[in-house]
Amino acid sequence: MYKLSAKQQFIECAKLGKVLARKCKNCGELHLATVYFCQKCGNKEFENEELEGKGTVVTFTIITVPPAGFEKYTPYAWAVLQLDSSDLRISGFMANMAKPSDLPIGSKAKIIGFDERGIILEKQ
Amino acid sequence: MEKVCVIGAGSTKYGKLQESIADITVQASVDAIESAGIEPKEIEAGYISNVFGVADKQVHLGPVVMSNLGIPEKPSLSIESACGSGSVAFREAFANVAGGFYDAVLVTGVEKVTHTGTEWTTTYFSYCSDFFYEGQAGASFPGLFASMARAYLTEFKATEEDLAMVAVKNHDNGFLNPKAHLRKKITIDDVMNSAVVASPLKLYDCCPFSDGASSVILCNEKFAKQHTKNYIRVIGSGRGGSPAALQGRNHLTTIPSTKIAAEAAYKMAGIKPKNVDFAEVHDCFTIAEIVDTEDLGFFDKGKAVEAVRDGKTRLNGEIPINPSGGLKSKGHPIGATGVGQVVEVFDQLTGRAGERTVKDAKIGLTHNFGATGASCAVHIFQSV
Repeated sequence: MYKLSAKQQFIECAKLGKVLARKCKNCGELHLATVYFCQKCGNKEFENEELEGKGTVVTFTIITVPPAGFEKYTPYAWAVLQLDSSDLRISGFMANMAKPSDLPIGSKAKIIGFDERGIILEKQ
Repeated sequence: MEKVCVIGAGSTKYGKLQESIADITVQASVDAIESAGIEPKEIEAGYISNVFGVADKQVHLGPVVMSNLGIPEKPSLSIESACGSGSVAFREAFANVAGGFYDAVLVTGVEKVTHTGTEWTTTYFSYCSDFFYEGQAGASFPGLFASMARAYLTEFKATEEDLAMVAVKNHDNGFLNPKAHLRKKITIDDVMNSAVVASPLKLYDCCPFSDGASSVILCNEKFAKQHTKNYIRVIGSGRGGSPAALQGRNHLTTIPSTKIAAEAAYKMAGIKPKNVDFAEVHDCFTIAEIVDTEDLGFFDKGKAVEAVRDGKTRLNGEIPINPSGGLKSKGHPIGATGVGQVVEVFDQLTGRAGERTVKDAKIGLTHNFGATGASCAVHIFQSV
């Protein structure tokens, strides 16, 4: 049977609003699924854990001078979320954000998908 | 371990240059060789730092440079570590001279990108991030540092005007540097009224895209003494890393790799931050200089803003930061920057810095990182 790569599994989870994490079988440390060795203890054995892609905005920017391909979305936000369910953080693209007051630090947000703009976040 | 010295240094002007990437790399190298008073054939290897040679249709720069210096048989290599390429190449050269593999080597950094325009550079520079999580999701480099700036301003109750003061100070210094890209004085109002690039950072919070090349000659102390009295010693060298993506860091108001590299460099040099007379630090954005000067131990966490307000980092302050004008005013040809910082320290410690000379300086530090500080190198130099 064809087995999805770790990154492809991570993307499929993001499309469902979840974060695919790997829990170290030795020390319990949580990582994003794209890590192959535990950053805490070096162990290679993990068990997958699907986390809800919901969290709190810890920082963000509103981008007005975009890289190629993002002109049609500008202005937009790029934000870092602290996940509610763990110590992990996740960052991503957030559409329709024009000014900093649209997205105060501490706002609740969640993952709503994954496309050519990477992880897509939305304010709740 | 051999004692390692810098015996020559040269730089092109930073800015929008017309000559090709190969031409400016050779120019800076020739300047460094002539300032060292050595013959090219005495150089045993070349270390070239560069990121986007492809933009000017020339990668594999080493053999081109060595051939133009009349030493095509000498080995060379190219090193890419984003905006930290220059200091990383310097470190590799340092290690090889310290380890006794070579007596004397050339380190030249270069970048030539301004002809490609803002969109191209913004896009290609974003490839230096952890692209899956950052560049792909529309995070430009100003955007990533803006995210750090917002975290800092929120945590330490600092203001955008505080950040602007860093830009004003660095432009004051760069105004005194004939090789600076943006050689003009600016005011806090100029910064505050400039266009927003990625909030809270505005155009004048950002360093420019620059072309330029910088070069130094590194050698062991025996070689240095045989050739010149005008040299400086490398007394500390440290490197460190950070999680590639900002989301992998629990605190966004500090850069882990800077602390790791600085600790190693201070330990090798046997000095403390308070013994440093001046520093060239990686101020790609105003917020970066604030964070850097805290991570390097010059100021406590959250206190760098107050130090800037009090003028402590000005040319005549207690710890002058970026006497060259820094990346902000001198310019940021990304592959050249880390080598250019060493050129500034060499000029400062050998009496070649003119109007921007830091008075009575004996010990200078360079701090240069790649991307959002995912890779970093710190070096410490002492006059002889």
